[in-house]
Amino acid sequence: MEPKKMCLGLFSGSVDKLTAAGIILSGAVADDMKVDIYVLLQGARAFRKDIGDNSEKLQMAENPNLKAEFLESLKTLKVKTWVEFFRECKTISDVKIHICGLAGKIWGAEKLDDFIDIADDICGIGAYITATQEADVNLFI
Amino acid sequence: MTQEELISLQVTKAVDARGTACPGPLLEAKKAIGTIKPGDIMEVLSADEGTKVDIPKWCAKQGHEYLGTIEGSGYFRIFMKKH
Repeated sequence: MEPKKMCLGLFSGSVDKLTAAGIILSGAVADDMKVDIYVLLQGARAFRKDIGDNSEKLQMAENPNLKAEFLESLKTLKVKTWVEFFRECKTISDVKIHICGLAGKIWGAEKLDDFIDIADDICGIGAYITATQEADVNLFI
Repeated sequence: MTQEELISLQVTKAVDARGTACPGPLLEAKKAIGTIKPGDIMEVLSADEGTKVDIPKWCAKQGHEYLGTIEGSGYFRIFMKKH
C-alpha cells in the first residue's frame, strides 16, 4: 500500500511554531507517512546554518514575553529542539525538506550549503503547489 | 486481556520512555517495533498521559495488536503484539 502523503507549508520561523511542526512531524512519521516540507519566507531564516535551534536568535509567535518560561519547560520535559525533531524524523520515514529559493535570498542564503544539513534542496513555488495537489494531508504553519 | 494476563506476558522488547513527554514515547515505540519479529510482544513504559491513548490508536493504524495497559506506580505499561 502506498504511504499517505503529508505536505507541510512551513512559513513560520518562530521557536514555538517550529516546535509544534516537529511534534506534528513526529506523529506523521510514526504513521509511516511520506512528508514533504516546503520552507517559506520566515521559515527559511530559521533554517540558516547560523540560526537553526539557537533559541537566542528565534522569536516566539505567541506570547513573546513567555519565551524563557516556554524554553525552560521544554528543557525540563526533555522535549527535543525543533531541529532534533526534524533530524530524527528524517531517519524514521521519508521526510524531505525543500527550501523556497526566494525565501533563502531574502535572508541572505542562496545555496543549499547555507542551510542546516537537514535541508534537501532549494525549490520554487511550482514544486510546493504540485505537492499540495498530490498530498493526502496539507498543513500550513 | 486481564491485568493478570498482561503481567504474565513474555515480553520480547521493553521500551522505557518514562523520561520523555509526547511525542517521545510514540517515536520510541515506532523505532523499537522495527527491531522485533512479527508475533513478538512489546511493552512501552510511559509516564505521559497521552501515550495511553496514542499507542492503541497507533497500533490499530499500523496493524499491530494492542493487548492492554496496566496503570499504577506513576506510569503506564502498554502492551502490544507486532503484526
